[in-house]
Amino acid sequence: MNRFRLSIPFFFIAIFAASGILAWSAPPADKGQGVLLSTMQAELERAKTSLAKSDPAPYFISYEVYDQHNLTVAGTYGTIVTSAMGNHRWADVTMRVGTSAMDNTHNENRDSGISSGALPLADDRDAIARTLWELTDREYRRAAPAYAKVVTNNSVEAAEEDKSPDFSQEATQAYVEAPRAPIAFNQKEWEEKVRKYSALFRKYPEIYSSTVTLQIEQTTSYFVSSEGSKVETPGLIARLVVEANTRADDGMDLVRVETFESTKPDGLPSENEVTAKEEKMASDLKALREAPLAEPFDGPALLSGRAAAVFFHEVLGHRLEGHRQRGDTEGQTFTKKVNQQVLPAFLSVYDDPTLGTINGVPLSGTYSHDDEGVPSQRVPLIQDGILKNFLMSRMPITNFSKSNGHGRHQAGFMPTGRQGNLIVQSTKTVKDSDMRAQLIEEVKKQGKPYGLYFEDVQGGFTLTTRELPQAFQVLPVIVWRVYPDGRPDQLVRGVDIVGTPLASLNRILLTGDKTEVFNGICGAESGSVPVSASAPAMLFSEMEVQKRSASRERPPILPPPGFEASSRSSTPTSQSGGAR
Amino acid sequence: MKNSRGVPAWRAAATLLIFLAVSPFGVAAQQNQIPAGDTSDPVLRALRTELARSKAQLKMDNVDSPFYIEYRVFDVEQFDASAAFGALRDQNRTRLRLIRAVVRLGDYKLDSFFNAGQGVSDILPLDNDELAIRHQVWLATDQAYKRASEAFSNKKAMLKQLNIDQPVDDFAKADPVVSIGSLAKLDVEPAKWTKMLESATSVYRNDPQIQSFTASLNFTAISQYFVNTEGTVTRHGSAHYQLVLSGSEQARDGMRLERSPQFTANHIEELPTPDEFQKDALKLIEDMKTLREAPVGDEEYRGPVLFSNDASTDMFFDLIVPNVLGRRPAPGRPARTVGAFASSWKARVLPDFISVVDDPTVDTFARHGLGGSYKVDDEGVPAAPVTVVDKGTLVNYLIGRVPIRDFPVSNGHGRASGSGNTAPAPGNLFFRASKTSTREELKKQLLDECRNRGLKYGYFVDTLGPRLAPRMLYRVWADDGREELVRGAVFNELDIRALRSDLVAAGDDPLVSNRTGLPFMTIVSPSVLFDELEVKRADNTNEKLPDYPAPALTAGR
Repeated sequence: MNRFRLSIPFFFIAIFAASGILAWSAPPADKGQGVLLSTMQAELERAKTSLAKSDPAPYFISYEVYDQHNLTVAGTYGTIVTSAMGNHRWADVTMRVGTSAMDNTHNENRDSGISSGALPLADDRDAIARTLWELTDREYRRAAPAYAKVVTNNSVEAAEEDKSPDFSQEATQAYVEAPRAPIAFNQKEWEEKVRKYSALFRKYPEIYSSTVTLQIEQTTSYFVSSEGSKVETPGLIARLVVEANTRADDGMDLVRVETFESTKPDGLPSENEVTAKEEKMASDLKALREAPLAEPFDGPALLSGRAAAVFFHEVLGHRLEGHRQRGDTEGQTFTKKVNQQVLPAFLSVYDDPTLGTINGVPLSGTYSHDDEGVPSQRVPLIQDGILKNFLMSRMPITNFSKSNGHGRHQAGFMPTGRQGNLIVQSTKTVKDSDMRAQLIEEVKKQGKPYGLYFEDVQGGFTLTTRELPQAFQVLPVIVWRVYPDGRPDQLVRGVDIVGTPLASLNRILLTGDKTEVFNGICGAESGSVPVSASAPAMLFSEMEVQKRSASRERPPILPPPGFEASSRSSTPTSQSGGAR
Repeated sequence: MKNSRGVPAWRAAATLLIFLAVSPFGVAAQQNQIPAGDTSDPVLRALRTELARSKAQLKMDNVDSPFYIEYRVFDVEQFDASAAFGALRDQNRTRLRLIRAVVRLGDYKLDSFFNAGQGVSDILPLDNDELAIRHQVWLATDQAYKRASEAFSNKKAMLKQLNIDQPVDDFAKADPVVSIGSLAKLDVEPAKWTKMLESATSVYRNDPQIQSFTASLNFTAISQYFVNTEGTVTRHGSAHYQLVLSGSEQARDGMRLERSPQFTANHIEELPTPDEFQKDALKLIEDMKTLREAPVGDEEYRGPVLFSNDASTDMFFDLIVPNVLGRRPAPGRPARTVGAFASSWKARVLPDFISVVDDPTVDTFARHGLGGSYKVDDEGVPAAPVTVVDKGTLVNYLIGRVPIRDFPVSNGHGRASGSGNTAPAPGNLFFRASKTSTREELKKQLLDECRNRGLKYGYFVDTLGPRLAPRMLYRVWADDGREELVRGAVFNELDIRALRSDLVAAGDDPLVSNRTGLPFMTIVSPSVLFDELEVKRADNTNEKLPDYPAPALTAGR
């Protein structure tokens, strides 16, 4: 089942939160990279030459090694719950047996193309070579039988609709970005900050759980392939995620998450900026607890730029991933719509991993080369409402035989076409400040009692397979009812946007004039990758929302420790619970 | 993947870590003396404050107040590292504090301990901030109470559908215990140990045919706290240290051969020194070379088999331990317990010269530290020696506070593996023989038996791998007593019936085997001789050999 989820990145952080290294010392920088890369090249060459004599023989082998240093500190309520610093080296060995027309990775055998494992941390040529040999041997033992299976299946099954080859021909790349010296993490200093940031929620008894997680990850990726490519790219991401939870009296869980990101170790926002956001989260949650439940609704809606960005990521972005256009299980919403109108003519969409920032906001989906060693590029996907292109990895599809630098993966997974920085542009704009008035006008026009304004979202997910409905869901957190009669806007809770992709996309009437960015972690079959989506605010003539399913578990029965006295009179053996 | 609501995913991941990563390891930590009865421990203070508050005040509309609440805290500090082919591959140092909160509704006879009502785990702050610790305890208690309430309704509804002849109480009464021991702290110098791993694994250079050669360590110090509303307060620390060497190779015919000798101790001084570890690594390389070139075992063999004390600890662990635990069967099932000895109470399960006693109260045996020692179990019940098998007859099950028929109270064997539920488990399980023989006498007995039956050879198994498959197995030739290593042979019916009927002699050489994984336990058992076992050729397909050779070594390091 292909179910994709865009979320704020604490899931990603979770993976590393509990592991770390004791004492980490920087390896001698230039010598280190020299040994690693040259050993990878030598061992790849040996594998290529040696296995050429095997039957069946691989026609493509690549090694990708991630050399990573990271710091993860998580805290709650003014304390640390985990703090770890570490370095890791991970190798992915990719192998294709057969021919580019048909190889072991065909259809459901795609996973047979990759084997992964940890690599020695030290620059020990023999140990690195030996480990790469072990992984390569293991991978060949997977790839060869998988290829035999593909050949058999192909001879007994009916011809496939998309007869594209399994692997595209691409130019050889040689790209080595200047290596960066390992940064020195100041663990103690970050622990103090996490304590401080997480302590802020102590004064709010209704916020009964909260976490602050900091992660700084410096990764250098080394890629070599049997085609002769050699790509070395350093990267860094620093991320601070603040999450706060409360529960309404009827049992609905309410969560606010704020993420701060930077590509510089010291680029995270100042203390004042973080605490101001935290105070806003606290006041939002307080307001949400008191807010009435939303009713199912079908009518005009205004999506903020961030909400519209997530909407496009789920509804459009995932369906434009190249590999989803072939294979028997995919819904293929857009496969046969190339050069047809799929969006209103005033909208264009492109994906540009080469872009670093929008309006000064750093974008999470930026990279110079994708995970198949192909240079990234700006890809116009939809031009004036007309579908032009897909997000291509090296898996070709009918009429699109080349990669456009979107083959992405999480270490250990086979790359597929994925989004990087998805950007929606509009030529039919009004000033952002006029969008609310436009919504009210539309509400009046349709004679509806109110419209909805989606101010912020926490993520979403979508289904693209054939067996399941072609559906998507966006998970809004701050939603307002906007009344046409001048009443103040009313915050509501428990709303999920639902619908089917094609219908929803054509209900966009106009957009705002300012682009907003949503940075997140996107999970799909090639693993979790950092992405961004950017869009202006959008007015929809019609948007369908449903009530969010919620537990009926009450808020905590007793008041939180430290707040016993204030509520003792009202809640010692509380009837309905609820420590306010 | 509900990671964006409710419990943050990193918590789930952290909990998972404990279940997964805490499992393999070994021996002793530095202990910080804290006077008994001391109330300055912020963790204990936080637990006791929330316990008192919850006991007095926790009550929902139309739901009973709890009759029992317990908190168990696991403060785990771990250092693990691994090296392959002479180079360090990873090292991690982690510390986590986890809580398990159990809230019971109803009474001792019938309570809410069922499905999701069996408790809630969460992570606690590492900082000794009493209010912050209480905050997490408060959340866990609240959730445990709500789940218990729902589980109790479900349980009562389910019981209405069943007809239960001989009801057994849900929860055994236990006297309150106060026992404040010292905390455990990991005090190791990582560089010394990682260097030892690198050095040991560099011996792969001696043998180009070894395909994989790794060494790893896992050092763990655990401080545990337990409080309940019956008045029990306990705290104790323990540490376990483990080193593992492992090698993998293929014989010329493709047969996969693996070895993984382990060293597990609860005092770091009991681990091999770097020199000894280096020698062990060299020995492993030598053994694996011999193994690779050894003949394949015959297709069929039926005759005497001598188990070394090492092999016998593994054999008893697999065949006896799961069957002597008093674990309650599913509701409505008439059996006394689960396992192969469920209907063997007061029946013979072993030869009459063997007795089995579990004694968590002893720390050492023949100067070896015992990993399964404890004073009070993880349910707050004091440990005591329990005779499990007396002269071959099963007389007791090891049991915690969940009673089974005829065993209404705990005998101090409720053990926890991390922040999950407690379950019955042994501490230090001793297999004792009333008549013993020296190794030479056992070998002579083996050979005599072979000659009597006209067999050319008997088998001696030195070490076992997973599923009791022999790893170092020797033919002992009847004519001259020489030992010949063979590979690719497995036992056919090594089971409890064979143990009861075919085990004929025991050695005078009991070996301490500290087991890996939580809860920590130890098996102490001697060499044993079976007068008849079936040994057959393993029914495994041989993998093909690597398609190209390992990379040539450069001049050295």
